[in-house]
Amino acid sequence: MASKTNDPAAHADDIVSRRGEVSASLAHACSRIKDVLTYSSAYLVFIAMVEVLTVHVVLSLPLSPAPVVVGLVTFSVYAGDRIADAEGDALSTPERSAFVTRHREALSLLTAGAYGVAIALAITGGPVALAITLLPGGFWILYASDWFPTLGRRFKRLKQVLVVNSAMVASAWAIAVVGLPLAFAEAAITPLSGVVFVYFLVDTFVNTEIPNVRDVEADAADGVSTLPVVFGIRRTRHALYGLDLFLVAFVVLTLAFGPLTVALAGAILVGLGYALVLAWFVGRTNAPGRLAIAGESKHLVVFALLLVSTAGL
Amino acid sequence: MLPPTTVVVPLLFGSVAIGSGAAILAWRERPNPGATPLVWLLGGQSVWATCIIFSLSAESVSGTLTWTKLGWIGVMIVPVAWILFALEYTGRDQYITRRNVALLSVVPVLTVCLAVTEQYHGLLYVRAAGVTADGAVVAEQGGVWYGVAAAYTYLLGVLGIVPILGLVSSRATAFRGQSAALLVGITTPWATNVLYNAGALPSAGIDPTPIAFAVSGVAYLGAIRRFRMFGANPAPTWRAKEFLFDHIHEGAIVVDGHDTIVEINQTGAAILGVDADRALGASASELLPVSGPIQADGGRDFLTVGTESTSQSYDVTMTELTDRRDHTLGYVFTLHNVTRYLQQQQRLKVLNRVLRHNIRTEANIIQGYAERTADETAKTIKRRTMRIVELSEKGRDAIDLFEDAVGEWNQSSLDSLVGDCLAGARDAFPDVAFELDRPTEDAPVPDGAAVVVNNLIENAAVHNVGSDRRVSVSAWVEGDQAVVQITDNGPGIDEYELDILDSGTETPLRHGSGLGLWLVKWGTETIGGSVDFEPAEPTGTIATVTVPLSGSDGRTPAPRDG
Repeated sequence: MASKTNDPAAHADDIVSRRGEVSASLAHACSRIKDVLTYSSAYLVFIAMVEVLTVHVVLSLPLSPAPVVVGLVTFSVYAGDRIADAEGDALSTPERSAFVTRHREALSLLTAGAYGVAIALAITGGPVALAITLLPGGFWILYASDWFPTLGRRFKRLKQVLVVNSAMVASAWAIAVVGLPLAFAEAAITPLSGVVFVYFLVDTFVNTEIPNVRDVEADAADGVSTLPVVFGIRRTRHALYGLDLFLVAFVVLTLAFGPLTVALAGAILVGLGYALVLAWFVGRTNAPGRLAIAGESKHLVVFALLLVSTAGL
Repeated sequence: MLPPTTVVVPLLFGSVAIGSGAAILAWRERPNPGATPLVWLLGGQSVWATCIIFSLSAESVSGTLTWTKLGWIGVMIVPVAWILFALEYTGRDQYITRRNVALLSVVPVLTVCLAVTEQYHGLLYVRAAGVTADGAVVAEQGGVWYGVAAAYTYLLGVLGIVPILGLVSSRATAFRGQSAALLVGITTPWATNVLYNAGALPSAGIDPTPIAFAVSGVAYLGAIRRFRMFGANPAPTWRAKEFLFDHIHEGAIVVDGHDTIVEINQTGAAILGVDADRALGASASELLPVSGPIQADGGRDFLTVGTESTSQSYDVTMTELTDRRDHTLGYVFTLHNVTRYLQQQQRLKVLNRVLRHNIRTEANIIQGYAERTADETAKTIKRRTMRIVELSEKGRDAIDLFEDAVGEWNQSSLDSLVGDCLAGARDAFPDVAFELDRPTEDAPVPDGAAVVVNNLIENAAVHNVGSDRRVSVSAWVEGDQAVVQITDNGPGIDEYELDILDSGTETPLRHGSGLGLWLVKWGTETIGGSVDFEPAEPTGTIATVTVPLSGSDGRTPAPRDG
């Protein structure tokens, strides 16, 4: 009687079965990694670091710890915000809320430690670098934490105030992304750095409003006034078109009369074209989460084009 | 840029990272007790360490001196935050008022102001003392106010440790673990600071105290995460004790071993008619005019306060407080208002007299008149009159039960109790065949059980109307209880009667036929026993009474309802 292990057909089945298990395990692991990157906002860390590197390239600054500091602060603030809003997010992003709730302890420790390390690194850049590093955390306290309303009836979470909320987020990150490399390099503020700041300010504003379309019901329930909550999704889409077109005009003007180079202007304009296409999908897609990630990913496109055009890579 | 100085510099960076990270964690723990001051403490430590780093990295002497002066902001935040943390964390947050925080901040604010303006007065001077081998400017600090600030800092440090030490002796292991971590956290920087100021640390002239605070940060993180500092917080225990002391209905007075009142709650002060604050420090024997000596631990006497019409009576209990070696520390007097109870007692005594004497006297007179006639009507009058007398005697028994319920029961022997009850029943009901199964083991029982057993035997005999009327009584001891069982072959107790008994109350439309079963119920309740009825075969009822045995002193404390 032949044993099963000597049965060629059974052996082949076994191999197929093992291959199936391995591929299933790989798929599971990939899915887990994707969850971690998405729900913990780790992908934002990567994009924020690329933004800072873009500033380094555009302003020709020496490499510094600024990208690491911004990355750590981005993780700390965004993941910290998700910890704070885990309950409220259960309505709009139930899977992310469940992930954050399940890993609350670990995320809490990691985010606190990340900001602590970022501050220590920023000290090496001097007082201005330290102040800029503290800015997103300070803005977050005014923006999202429940501490600000405790100061009095007239104070409410700035997250609830129309335009101020997104403008605050955009300001904090634009200052950090542009200011920190300058502070580390002890470089002066130039017209070109001003142009880059305006670009990141408006662009971050747009990218802040895109996920607000997905969160419209939860924000309305939470008393948060965003463009989609107040003006509706169609008008929000028009507003985003307007902001992107404003940036297009701004880039063209600064190319014509200002310090912008053709390579940089070209990269930014391609990125803005990409942003306009994404704006068309606002309110028209069944995957609003992916739209938000795609919006942030625009900076990867711009950075890649910059590298190709300026460094010849 | 920073010169490559000693190992102290990277340690300073580490202390900032840990301190600010721990501050964020503490921020997230708000509003738990202690979290907000801990944020300030860790923030102050981070500011301190950051200013040292900037002073070392400054490229000019003036830059070094400026950052050294600004470092005082962090230096002086730490002790104030520490004392606030210790108070809030241990539940003494009533001391954390805006006024007190402002008072605590006077010296720190003055210190920072004097440091910034030091060139005009020199009370707290900050000057360059030299340059290290790495090229870093070393700042030297001193002056009269430097000593004041240092003394103030150490004072707050020690004061903050005191309430935390209280947790070390806590009965709750979790709190001991937390406070041990906190003590490590706080003693390390203080000890480092003392050693640095004494010149005992080889730190190249750099104050390493903020680095030691990094150890604090780790300890606090450990306390937060491992011991769940804010998850299992001792603050409520302290406040709960205060709350209970202040809000219990009883007056409470704590007297030390020298007859001095050291604590009194609002109720106690109101009873004695004194202001609570003024009573503190007064002589207890003058304020507590209790007649006769007060016995410790359970000794009772009544304290009457006020004029006759509005007087209130209080049951005074004195409990001795001892330390772990049984040395007397003082006494706690509790004053429990028993005015209504005493009034109830008075009413019961009046009712007792009416039932005992007046009804019997009136019944005797009626019977006397009835005996002047010799017809059937006279017999009926006599029988009914006797029934009234019996009812009054049961009412009297009930009053006796209620009176005894607030005192202590005398004891009886179980054997003699059932023997006496049965002897009385044989006299009262000669037509009933009684049978007694005496207990094999005798034991002391509360004599209130006699009322219960008597009524059950009487109930079994009087309602048994058949030709062969039998009642058997058996008694035995089961553990620390005595059991008496009365079995009859009568018609059984009506379910209606038992339902009313179970409900515990009667209405004009729903009531029992007499007082007998009520006496059984009340009697068993007052002596802490129970009674159970079940049908006997083929007819009749089995009543089982369970009563607790009396204590070794022969007296059973009666259950009190206050």
